[in-house]
Amino acid sequence: MKDLTASEFAMVGTRAPRRDARDKIHGITRYADDFSLGGMLYAKVVRSTRASARLVRVDTSKAAALPGVRCIMTAADVPHNVLFTDVPGQTTVVGALRARTQVLAADRVRYFGEPIALIAADTEEIAEQARGLVEIEYEDLPGVFDPVEAMHPEAPQLEETGNVISRWRVRQGDVDAGFAAADVIVEHTYQTPFIDHAFIEPEIGVGWLDEDGVITIRVATQVIEHFRDVANVLGLPHSKVRLIAPFIGGGFGGKEDVTVEVYIGLLVWKTGRPVRLLYTREESIITPTKRHPFRMRYKHGVRKDGTITAIEAEFISDAGAYAYLSPLVLLYAMVHSSGPYRCANVKVDGTAVLTNNTPTSAFRGFGSAQPAFGYESQMDACARAISMDPLAFRERNYVCKGESLPCGQPVDHAVLLTETARRAWEALGPSCAAPPGKRLGRGIASTLTSFGRIVWLHDWSAAWVELQMDGTIMVRIGVPDLGGGQASSLVQITAEIFRIPMSSITIHIGDSSLTPLAGTTTATRQLYMSGSAVHKAGMELRAGLLEQASSVLGVPAAALTMDGGAVVQVDGAKRISFQELAASCSRSGRERYRHSVFHAPAGKVMDFETGQGRVFPDLTFGSQAVEVEVDEATGAVRVTKLATCYDVGRVINRNSVEGQMEGGAAMGLGYALTEEDILEQGVPRTPNLMTYLIPTALDVPDITTIVLESGEGSGPWGARGIGEPAMVPTAPAIANAVYDAVGVRLTQLPLTPERVWRAMRDAAP
Amino acid sequence: MLPHVDYVRAEGVAHALALLDRHGAGARLLAGGTDLLVDLRERRSAPALLVDISELDELAAIRAEDGALHIGAGVTVAALREDATVQAEFPALAEAARWFADYLTRNKATLGGNLANASPGADFLVPLLALDAAVTIAAAAGDRTVPLDQFLLGPRQTALGRGELLREVVLPRSAPAGQAYEKLGLKHGGAIAVVSCAVVMDVRAGRGARVRIVLGAAAPRPFRARAAEERLEGQPLSAERAEQAAALAAGAAQPISDVRGSAEYRRAMVQALVRRGIDAAQAAAVRS
Repeated sequence: MKDLTASEFAMVGTRAPRRDARDKIHGITRYADDFSLGGMLYAKVVRSTRASARLVRVDTSKAAALPGVRCIMTAADVPHNVLFTDVPGQTTVVGALRARTQVLAADRVRYFGEPIALIAADTEEIAEQARGLVEIEYEDLPGVFDPVEAMHPEAPQLEETGNVISRWRVRQGDVDAGFAAADVIVEHTYQTPFIDHAFIEPEIGVGWLDEDGVITIRVATQVIEHFRDVANVLGLPHSKVRLIAPFIGGGFGGKEDVTVEVYIGLLVWKTGRPVRLLYTREESIITPTKRHPFRMRYKHGVRKDGTITAIEAEFISDAGAYAYLSPLVLLYAMVHSSGPYRCANVKVDGTAVLTNNTPTSAFRGFGSAQPAFGYESQMDACARAISMDPLAFRERNYVCKGESLPCGQPVDHAVLLTETARRAWEALGPSCAAPPGKRLGRGIASTLTSFGRIVWLHDWSAAWVELQMDGTIMVRIGVPDLGGGQASSLVQITAEIFRIPMSSITIHIGDSSLTPLAGTTTATRQLYMSGSAVHKAGMELRAGLLEQASSVLGVPAAALTMDGGAVVQVDGAKRISFQELAASCSRSGRERYRHSVFHAPAGKVMDFETGQGRVFPDLTFGSQAVEVEVDEATGAVRVTKLATCYDVGRVINRNSVEGQMEGGAAMGLGYALTEEDILEQGVPRTPNLMTYLIPTALDVPDITTIVLESGEGSGPWGARGIGEPAMVPTAPAIANAVYDAVGVRLTQLPLTPERVWRAMRDAAP
Repeated sequence: MLPHVDYVRAEGVAHALALLDRHGAGARLLAGGTDLLVDLRERRSAPALLVDISELDELAAIRAEDGALHIGAGVTVAALREDATVQAEFPALAEAARWFADYLTRNKATLGGNLANASPGADFLVPLLALDAAVTIAAAAGDRTVPLDQFLLGPRQTALGRGELLREVVLPRSAPAGQAYEKLGLKHGGAIAVVSCAVVMDVRAGRGARVRIVLGAAAPRPFRARAAEERLEGQPLSAERAEQAAALAAGAAQPISDVRGSAEYRRAMVQALVRRGIDAAQAAAVRS
């Protein structure tokens, strides 16, 4: 089937207004919380106030006696009190452990805030009051709050199988020989913090029992496939649970694991009544999941000519109290550990460890963001150690198309890193003099981030595209739209294929029962996977409609095209409207719809001993350059300029691409400078937005976005994913700029004024 | 979630006072609500009645009278920030308004609310103490005026008695021309002070005069660093002397360690900010 070519595009690459924009701006969009049902109960979760304890007694009798309380559930009331996160390809005992979380704490709590009981009441006030009446007696158990301490055999053990839940390794060449051949060795240990996703919309859902006894939950989730998890916990057939994802107010990985849906499912199942559960901001911050803190020792060997002779790295990841996706996040970190650079001799070891801290899991950049702070700080330090320009040093070492990363991950498509770095750097413009008491510095970082799921997970996405009898088009696809414009981009792709306005297309998304399943909105995979599914279904339907029109018009299909809601003869007068075509299809028995499945290319499981092999379908590369102003007296860092440049392969919607790039940089700026979930002995000390500091409009400079299109990528028409990659280079670019300004290398995020001040003071002669 | 609480919109100051009198300790005044609503939500305060004074024009005026500027307690931070007299004569106060919280909060929060809440890091206590402000307290028995320093008893403690409300802030219009306000926050929008300071002074024949140095978030309540002031008062000004004064201010601080910074850092920042404040205030005084 002949595809559309770039020169023919009418819609792709434009700034077509997003179809969801108007309603969001007008406040009309009905998010998960903008929904209620008659007789709805309000739920609250009773949580542990200890980070490590045995539950001696949970007495709910006083709470149950409170008028208006309709249901209280504890672990004993949960049919199958376990949630699994399958972690394929594990190398250690984790394989047997699986990633296992108790739905409600049965006899032991392992982190502060762990759910112990559920309450449903007539009003939120009553539920809140009842929460205070549940009596819980604890017997404190020794806890462990540092992953290095947790690796010690004498440390308190969170699971019988031990605290170490995952180990991965990468081996290539001979690092000893590599270091022996180096002129300079640069070694630092880097640390990154727990951070919160801080989406505008906290975890929220409303569930009810429908006419056929199906538990239906309208919930803010990135993964409607969690209907299976809810059904498994309840011991019901999968078809008895349905999840609907309305427009979501941000996910960033924080709505990738199961959140409120399982509690709502339990309470609906138990009461038969509609149930709403909304987390407060404080609950959202203290509950799973967070980004993993990483401790990363990096050792680079370089020759004076700029060759990297060896890279050795050791990662220790704090998984918190339950595994969730920690083993996978660590695997991603292994693949990304060397950055977008070639090196013959590489040795990387990673360990994920349980502690009594808040559980950690998916977060935008999924294991690619933490190493980037390490390897890009190292690249800057190496360049300075051999007195080479940091850009020139990078250019000398960027991996090229057709080569492989040191872990054996092939690089199939264009690598425009040299251009991204130069364009971002040039966009900073000429330097100005620093104001009194301030110092200016500039820094750059180039990074890679995979998109699409691991190739041996056999990812697929299905789409339904249909010509309606009135000549409009309908798309059905189970995509949750997190706010990135996922649905709108699919409509834009459809509009391109059928050459009709986006307003002539209706899309139904995010329903696990009624829309074809499209997989998770995670792993920067939706434009790639679901874009490809819609492209496939759309192009197949287009071909069928052209054939039908060919038989009606008596013109060869090859001489027909689509324009303005009709099939038209190229250079000719004959045409048939979509409406007439639809009627014609019905008369002749031709399908007016296509249900197509896009299967990502599958691959063999990697070699666990060496870490060698293909893990991901594709990679996105980009660079960011920043200018910072550092206050000499206080250590405060202000980002004065920020330029971000990516090769996105092919732009589908230019506004959405730039929006992701700007939002990613702003999020990266928070990771760099202000964001940190501070835990003391497992107790969250920054449980609100007064103490957990996300950047505001005043903290983010005007961002220059530069979009390159190599035309090469695994998505529709060569598109690549940009959602997660967009935030990855910011933190190291800022750290490198701070070094440039004041000559000290900060190795711990975030770069708070106090940390910068201490580093400057300690470095002073 | 906000608890249920009764609510009355006061028709005037007299009405508000009568309601306070009738309901005693169970009543709380609601102005901007930017502190109070958070306290209610967090269950730090459980009043039976909210008396809304946010719509009272008589509390929202700024007027010059008898050689003083009278700023109504209900003046919002946004209005304070834009007032021409405040900008011209009390730049330290205008600067504090400029860096107060964020746009949305400034539109709601009031000067009186910030003072009456008396947080250790309250932004306006710092410049107002340095400007020798007084406050007028309204009560059924009549108004009384007390120096701000005596109004402020401790962290979240003021001289406001039961049945009283803060009517206005009174600023003598003979304030020194040299004024500076410095605030260190962890971000630019919506930041709470790690430390802050105000420096107010005249320069006469190269010597400091009427020097006030006030520190915020450096002790349980904002306070004047008198030893630092004395190092400049009547003394020939120099960079060395400014640094000595800053060091004395740091020595007088009693900072705590919390999620915003260690005590050690706060003390060092007091010195840095006071030094910066002295330089700026001195330059402004010399310019005038």
